[in-house]
Amino acid sequence: MNRVLPLVAIEIFVWLGLLLSTFLISKVVYTIDFGNGTIFERIVTQTTRVVVSGSIILVWLFAWKNLTNRYLWRALSRRKATA
Amino acid sequence: MFDSDQPVIIAFVAIITFAITFVSTPIIARIMRRRGVIGTDVHKVSRIEIPEMCGLAILIGLTFGSLTYFSIDPSSGNEITAFLATTLIAGAIGFLDDLRPLSARVKPLLTVLASLPIILLHAYTPYPMIPLLGTVTLTIVYPVLILVAIPVTSNAVNMMDVMNGSMPGTASIIMATMTVILLISGKIHTAAISIGVLAASLAFFYYNRFPAKVFSGDTGSLAVGAALGAIAILGRIEIVMVVALIPQIMNAFYGLSSVGRLYERREIPQRPIRLLDDGSLESSAERRAPVTLARLILARGSATEREVVGGMMILTVVSSMMAILTYCITVVIKP
Repeated sequence: MNRVLPLVAIEIFVWLGLLLSTFLISKVVYTIDFGNGTIFERIVTQTTRVVVSGSIILVWLFAWKNLTNRYLWRALSRRKATA
Repeated sequence: MFDSDQPVIIAFVAIITFAITFVSTPIIARIMRRRGVIGTDVHKVSRIEIPEMCGLAILIGLTFGSLTYFSIDPSSGNEITAFLATTLIAGAIGFLDDLRPLSARVKPLLTVLASLPIILLHAYTPYPMIPLLGTVTLTIVYPVLILVAIPVTSNAVNMMDVMNGSMPGTASIIMATMTVILLISGKIHTAAISIGVLAASLAFFYYNRFPAKVFSGDTGSLAVGAALGAIAILGRIEIVMVVALIPQIMNAFYGLSSVGRLYERREIPQRPIRLLDDGSLESSAERRAPVTLARLILARGSATEREVVGGMMILTVVSSMMAILTYCITVVIKP
C-alpha cells in the first residue's frame, strides 16, 4: 500500500486539476462569444473555446508530468542510495 | 426510468454475458494453442507460453448479451447497435493487430473507425454534463470529440494490458462504478450494456488473473476500451468516465510523454521494468526507458507481479470513488 500512496496523491492532484480546469473554463472560456447567428460565427466561437480550453489543459498536463518525473527520479535515486 | 421487471432483465443479461464469456474463454484458448497463437509471459522466470487473442470470448459474450437485451427490449435498438458496432470494429482492429502487428501510428488511426457507428447512428447527445459547468452545447464539436474519444479509451485500456489480470481487473472496477451511476441516473439501456461489459470482464478476469491461463490480446483490450468509451457517450457520463479512467490515462500519458511519440512495446529497446532472478519485478533506472504506471509503482523497490497489479487495482478503486464524487458534483452543483 505504501508504494501506491504517492501515486494516489498524484491521482488526486490530476482530479483536482481537472475540476479546476473546468471551473476556469466555465468562468473564463465560456464568456468568449463571437455571436451565434451564422454557422461561421458558431464555428469561430466554439473553436476559440476549444483552443483556450486546450491551453488550460496543457498547463495542467505539464504540471502533472513534472510532478510525476520528480517523484520517479527521487524514488529511484533514493533506492540506489539505499542499495 | 425503471419499470418493475427491468432489474430482472438487467440481471439476466449479466448472467448470459458472464456465462457465455466464461464458457467460451477456455474453448478459444484451446483453439489458439492448437493453432500456435501463443505469447510468452515475460514477467515469469519460467517464461511460460500462454494462448493469445482469447479476448475474442469477451466479444462473443458481449454480442450474445447485447442481442438478448435487444430481443427483450427492442426500444434499446439504436444504443445496442451503436455499442455493438463500435466494440466489434475495435475488436476486429485488435484481431488484425494480433495476427499481423500494426504500426504505432496505424493502430490508433484505425480505431477512429470504431467511433463512426455512434456518429452515423446519431446515438449521442451533444450536450455533455460537465462538473461546475452544467450542460454544455457542443453541437458541432461533439462528433469530432467522439472521433478522438474512442481511440483514446481503446488505446489507453490496451496500454494497461501489461500484466496478468491488469486489464480485465481494472475494467471490472470501472464498469461496476459506471453501472451504479447509470442506474442512479435512470439510464437503463446504457446500464444494461454496462453491466454486460462488467460481466464479460469479470468472467475473463477469472482466467487472466495471476497466474494467467489466457491473454486477451489486442482483440480483447481494444474492444473493452472502445466499449468503455461508447458507454460514456451513450450514457452522457463522459467526464465521469474520464475520471474513472485516470490510471489508464496516467499510464498512456506517461508512456507517450516520456518516449515523445506513439510507440509499440516491441519497438522500445529499454524495458521500463526488469524481471529479477527470484521472480519479482524491479523498476528500470535507465533514463531512456518509458515511464509507465508499473514502473512508478515499482519505483520504491521490487515487488511481485501480483503486488503491482494490486497497486493498479487500488489506484482504480480510488479513481472510481473520485468518479462517483464527480458525478455528485455534476448533479448537485449547477451554475
